[in-house]
Amino acid sequence: MDNFDENDIGTLLRLKKYEQPPPGYFEDFLHEFHRRQRDELLRQPIWSVLWQRLSDSLFRLNIPSLTSYPAAVAAVLVCAAVVSLKVSQGPQSSGVAMIDASPVVHQSVIDQMSSERAADYLTLSSVSDGEKEMRERLALSTRSLGPDLSRQMNDSAHTHRASTPPRYVLDRLPVSYEPSFKF
Amino acid sequence: MDQPRTDEDQPLVARAQAGDASAFDDLVVKYSPRLYGLVYNMTSNHEDTNDMLQDVFAKAYRAINGFRGKSSFYTWIHTIAVNMTLNFLKKRGRRYHLSLDDVDASIQNDKEFIELTSTTSPVREADLGELQRRLNEAMMKLSDEHRAVVTMFHIQGMPHAEISKILGVSEGTVRSRLFYANRQLQNYLDEFRKNPVG
Repeated sequence: MDNFDENDIGTLLRLKKYEQPPPGYFEDFLHEFHRRQRDELLRQPIWSVLWQRLSDSLFRLNIPSLTSYPAAVAAVLVCAAVVSLKVSQGPQSSGVAMIDASPVVHQSVIDQMSSERAADYLTLSSVSDGEKEMRERLALSTRSLGPDLSRQMNDSAHTHRASTPPRYVLDRLPVSYEPSFKF
Repeated sequence: MDQPRTDEDQPLVARAQAGDASAFDDLVVKYSPRLYGLVYNMTSNHEDTNDMLQDVFAKAYRAINGFRGKSSFYTWIHTIAVNMTLNFLKKRGRRYHLSLDDVDASIQNDKEFIELTSTTSPVREADLGELQRRLNEAMMKLSDEHRAVVTMFHIQGMPHAEISKILGVSEGTVRSRLFYANRQLQNYLDEFRKNPVG
């Protein structure tokens, strides 16, 4: 008896293409595909859907191809490093700016104030160092609020001198006193 | 070798990438019978094949925007199917049972079938149905990679170059795997012919 040769094996294997799924299988396959797609969409969390759409839009922009360029990757890394460095040094540098700007603030505030108030302000400058620093911070913060508001703040600060008792003025009802329904 | 050949599916792919779902449906209709044969002959199980094929098209649908046309859509979708099936088979391990699909009645008209059953050959001496069953068992004894090559070459009729592109290996590796797999199958079937009961 002869043995199987390669041709026999090949022929037998080619006949396997006649092994087919039940009739109508391929007609139903597409419907099944659509059903599974819908089920998958309903099952996915919203962030996953959003992420998928975002990645799809990135694909359309061909951004992944840019990542293959080492220079682009290096540039992004350098930018990220610079930004993170600036963020980490942010509070320290603003402190330096505040100290440097304090004489300017003094001058501008003095220019805007009346001579009496300016004298008071200069008097206040002679108090203890801690309080002085606190008032400088206050002056600096009011500077950024604009001239009018800055003036109001300075007037308010003037009423809080140590020699006179604090005076509080209620110019508005607390929120809890307001009626909940307005007609 | 890597240069894109004329891809007849390109218009459908472009429409699918632009968000036309019906174009992707056309691709599913076109490729599902062929991919079914590929996956089925690698898994030898109808239910596994059905689930796998659904997953293959779902993955292709999600990734269609990333398809840049460096290969043909044919190669791309076959690569997805083969890789997913190989991963599935690794997870499944040896836990499987053969669930054979019916042999289509048109086999009676097949030229090779007629030759096979009319001429004197070891195939004629054996019961063809039993031989096919043994062949399926022998196929499942091959490694997953060897079975993939045998399926694509003998059953799907793909050339070596196409198989090498799909599997991402050299043509030499494809030929080597094919040679080894044929020898293995011959040995299994010869053993069956000499000892039909066992």
